[in-house]
Formats: sequence, structure tokens, C-alpha cells
Amino acid sequence: MKLLVAYFTVGYPTESKFVELLREAESCGVDAVELGIPPKFAKYDGPLIRRSYERARKVSANCWGLLREARKILGIPMIVLAYLDDYSEAFDDFLNRLCEVGADSLLLPDLLIDYVDSFEEYLEKTRDVGLTIFTNPSMPDKLIAKISPLSKLFLYYGLRPATGTSIPVDVVALVRRARQLVKNRLVVGFGLSPNDVVKVLKNGADGIAVGSLLIRAIEEGGIEEVSRVLKELRGVVDGV
Amino acid sequence: MVNVPKKYLDEVLPNCWYNIVPDLPRPLPPPMDPPEASSRIELLKRILPRELLKQEFTVERFVKIPDEVREKYEVLGRPTPLYRARALENLLDAPIKIFFKFEGALPSGSHKVNTAVAQAFYAHAEGVGHVTTETGAGQWGAAVALASALYNLRATIFMVRASYDQKPGRRALMEFYGAEVVPSPSRLTRTGVEVLTKNPEHPGSLGVAISEAIEYALDNDFRYVMGSVLNAVLMHQSVIGLEAMRQLEVMGEEPDVLVACVGGGSNFGGFAYPFIGLKKRKMEFVAAGAAEVPKFSRGEYKYDFPDAEGVLPMLKMITLGRDFVPPPIYSGGLRYHGLAPSLSLLVASGVVKWVEYGEREVLEAARIFAKTQGIIPAPESAHAIRAIIDLARRAKDNGGRKVIIFNLSGHGLLDIENYREMMTKYRGP
Ligand SMILES: Cc1ncc(COP(=O)(O)O)c(C=O)c1O
Repeated sequence: MKLLVAYFTVGYPTESKFVELLREAESCGVDAVELGIPPKFAKYDGPLIRRSYERARKVSANCWGLLREARKILGIPMIVLAYLDDYSEAFDDFLNRLCEVGADSLLLPDLLIDYVDSFEEYLEKTRDVGLTIFTNPSMPDKLIAKISPLSKLFLYYGLRPATGTSIPVDVVALVRRARQLVKNRLVVGFGLSPNDVVKVLKNGADGIAVGSLLIRAIEEGGIEEVSRVLKELRGVVDGV
Repeated sequence: MVNVPKKYLDEVLPNCWYNIVPDLPRPLPPPMDPPEASSRIELLKRILPRELLKQEFTVERFVKIPDEVREKYEVLGRPTPLYRARALENLLDAPIKIFFKFEGALPSGSHKVNTAVAQAFYAHAEGVGHVTTETGAGQWGAAVALASALYNLRATIFMVRASYDQKPGRRALMEFYGAEVVPSPSRLTRTGVEVLTKNPEHPGSLGVAISEAIEYALDNDFRYVMGSVLNAVLMHQSVIGLEAMRQLEVMGEEPDVLVACVGGGSNFGGFAYPFIGLKKRKMEFVAAGAAEVPKFSRGEYKYDFPDAEGVLPMLKMITLGRDFVPPPIYSGGLRYHGLAPSLSLLVASGVVKWVEYGEREVLEAARIFAKTQGIIPAPESAHAIRAIIDLARRAKDNGGRKVIIFNLSGHGLLDIENYREMMTKYRGP
């Protein structure tokens, strides 16, 4: 079965709605959630997700509490997304808190971009919680092939230069290249339009991840709209 | 490293361009939107031809050259010749063989037309009838003017006012091909008007000209064509290296050292990347820059804007800062504050070495080359020749036979007045 992974920003749009969204996501058949901790600077994110971080920072200072809450209500895997840049100083503390809240894995979007020389070290440090590795098309083939089996749950492959942008790319070519290199489960995301989803799955991906699409749904129609979008995606994913 | 599939090298003029990104030693940091500003990445969609953007972000090792572009490459005289510089070898009297790829043989005078043709084609193919760009000394502008003529596009070229006044030859060349050449700062854009209001005598700069060209494209729904720095541009230039590889193979030679000059990095990348990414052999790669634009010795490797106004997304690159104002050297094509991200990465990780030369040494090298091989090199390309002369001297001291190849990115016939001024300026005591 192909995977549907949903991204939410912790505390967005409000603390209580965030928790409700997670409940709804699981009931719509989402296989795993990624929960983004608002970073100081969302280097590799596009405008929508950046906006959600700003808003979340305003309405909530209770990130860890919310993650604990999320763990209580979620039966599906919960991957915490954070920029390493914010935690490289006190990384052990950060890991302790992740274990405490019961995260199933950690995703660091800047690890292989800004900390590639320390990759082994971080892999070792995150052994307990586990690391879902983020890759993109600008990474060397050799590196993608080497690290993908080390990734927990699946390997994440971001198609566009930043989340939520509609930069034209040849989805088919990109997914095929990644598929050749990745032997474990391959989940593809970053700016996926409904149109991209089918192409991504037909060309070998084991799942899709959506984020900006959901943020937009929250902005435009709240939880109901998110539910509608997720159910539709579930249908598409299962239909391929 | 992978082997080059034979079908890509069957003929000297390749069927495909080569993109080094999948073969880089480390991940290439993606472009980034600046904090607290509108998305520059999104804006690219309105600035660049769609197919170019697609190439920029669809990372594939080999990309087929469209038939319509390959045809124009042939019209313009590709493959360009690969020469052995025997007379220079004799003069240097060192245990080396010197080869050079001659991009100056192209009609507009430099390698720049290799990407101008591709970008003009993509604009044309999506129904855009008008392109814009900037030019300093005029090499890039001439390439765009020619490429636009080939596809019947209109071209508006913002030429740095100082060059516009001082280099009527290059301006005339662009106009002869049918382009509209506008001195920048101009009254056609808000940026230009603003600059002129502050200083009606403003001599212009590449930064202002880029901003004007982008603004003019955005306002009129034209497309902007970019002369260097983008991965896609370096990829288009890979025809140089792929041809050279095949030509050397036919001659039974294997290079030990590759040299090219560097402004934004497109002729270096186009020439050297196929060898860096596709060959298993141990080779040395040398990038030659201008000492007056000391990005290698003084630049920082960090995110910065490729244009002075900060309209484009930030790129992680070796940079002197977008506010850096290069001194008025004659190698106009090297007066750029940044460096293509892939080349920056290769320099930062030690795969590509660098040298920097001042104008006086470059002039000397250019004259040595002209007096031995007969070709007047573009002042930019003469930086590579200077590096060859130094390598020859070192080889003489250290012994050991070497095969050295460099890219003569352009000829200097239209720079001859500048050379004359340089001769006066640097006449011995
Ligand atoms: C003849 C010549 N060589 C080299 C350059 C440097 O640019 P790049 O490093 O992008 O090849 C230029 C730029 O205008 C040029 O005209």
C-alpha cells in the first residue's frame, strides 16, 4: 500500500485546532504525520509554510506540550521536523525531549545540506529516536544511494527548491532518478500539486507527503477543507 | 564516477548536455528565499523561460539538446576547433603539450552564444517574442543579439553606460544583429529613473543593468536571459567540454591539467565539468580569476544575491558581496561579485584550484599568445593563458611530462582598443 504523509506546523493555526487537525488526519487515513517545530529561520521553506511558522510562534509557546498531546491522540507514526541549525548547540537536550514526548523519528531538512560533514555523528546520536532522512535532487547520486537505507520509516525526497513553490520541474524524470537509487521506501514531497501526485506514484514512489497544500486548505476552509483534501488524496493514492 | 555512454559522444558535437549536479562530491545547497520578503523563487516563473527553469531544477545527468538548438550550433560553427599550441610550447620550452579549445571561433566572438541560443529558443518556443538582458563589455549582449536574430526575437539589451560610450564597436555589433541597445541607467525602468534622479551622470554598473533588464521583462511580460551562474547555463556550456573530450580522444591524448578563466563560471563549468564528473582519471583543474575581483582569495562562501538589487533568489556561493564594486578593469566579463554555486562548491571542497592575476600580467600573457599563436585572446581568456605560462614554468622546474588544455573562451579583436590603452598604461618605466 502506498503511503500518505501529512505535514502540520506545531501550534498552527491555533493550539486547539492543531490537535483537532491531527485527529482528523488520522481518521482520513493518513499513514504518518510530520510535525514542524517553528524554526528561527525556515531556510528551505517557501512562503506558505514560513507564514504558518510565524503565526504559530505568535499563538503558541507550548511546542513540547503540544507534541506530548499529539502523541496521546495519534496511533500513527509521528515524525518531528526541526532545523538542526536551531539545536546543534544543545542537541542532546533536544533529543531527550524528543524521546520524552514519544516521537517516532526526527527529520532535519538542513542536515545533508549544511551539516553534511557531520552526518555520521548525527546519525549515531539520533540512534534511539531514529532519523528520517531528507534528500533532494541536488544531492549526489552516490550520497542518496548510500544514506537511503539508513533512513527510518522511509526516505524523504523533496522535488522542488523550497516547499510550496510551483516551480516547474519534470516530476517523472526526478522520481525515476531517485527510484533507481533508493532501495527502501521512497516518499516524495515539496510543492506537490494534485496533478503531480499521480505522476509521482506511477513512477515508482512508495508514497507522497503534502504540506503546503494542507496549510492552504487550513487558510481557505479550515478543518473541513483539510478533511476533504486528505480524503481525496487518500483515494488517489489508493487508486494508483 | 560514471562512464560517458557512447551515444552521447558518438559525434564530436554531442546530442546531450551534461549536468554535473548528480556527480558533485557534496549536496548542492538549493536557492533560498531571503527572510521576511516575498518569494524570489516564485518570481522566477515570471522572469525566465519555463523550460529553462525546468532544466534548472530537474536534475538529470544528461539532457537532450533540442534539434532546433543543435541545428543552430551547427550553423554557428560547432564543433569549435581544438588546437595544439605548438608555437607557444616552443617559446615556453617546457616538458608539456598545450591544447586549447577555441570558442572565439563562434561568430559573436565567445562561448556565450552556446547558452544564448538555448535560452532564446526556449523563449521562442513558449511564444515569447521579446527578451531582455544586460551587458557590460558586450560579449554577452552580442551573443544574445545573435541568438535573438536566429529565432526572430526582439532583444532589448541594457548596456552599462560607461561601456556604451566607450565601446561603440560592440554596441554596433549588437545593433547590426538587430537588437535594441539601451544605455543603463535608462529612463525605461523605475530602477533607472531612480538612479538617474540621484545622479544624472551615473556611469552605470552591471548590477543596475541586471535590475533594469529584469524589471523591463517583468513589466512587459518579456523574458530575461541570463549569461552565467545558473546550473542550466553551465549545462548548456557543457558542449565545450564534451566536444573537447571527444576531440582529445580522437587525437589519443589524455589531459592532466585543465584551465579556464572565471567570471560567473560558465565557460569554466562548460569546459571542465564533463572531465570532472565523467572521467575516472586523476586531473588537476585550475580556475583563473582577476586579482582586481578577488573572489577566490577574499570572497566568502555564503548565501548572497546574484544581482545587486536582490530580485533573484539567494544562492550559496563564493562572493565578494552584492555591493562589491569592481574596479574598472578591461576584462569586463570577470567583473562579477559571485560565482556559480556548483563551482563554488568544487572550489570550497578543493576539487578545483584557483589562481588570480592582475591586469599587467594578463596583458603580457595576451601578447605572448598573439605573437606566438596569432590569435588575439579576449582579455578574460588571457587570464587562463597566464596560468598556462606559470604551469609551464613549474613543469620545467619539476620535470615530468604533462598534457595541459585550456579554454580560449573568446577572441579579443573587438578589445583591441582596450589592449592599446593597456599597453600605454603598463608601459615599463
Ligand atoms: C570571453 C569571455 N570569457 C569569460 C567570461 C567570463 O564569464 P564566465 O565565467 O561565465 O564564463 C566572459 C564574460 O563575459 C567572456 O566574455
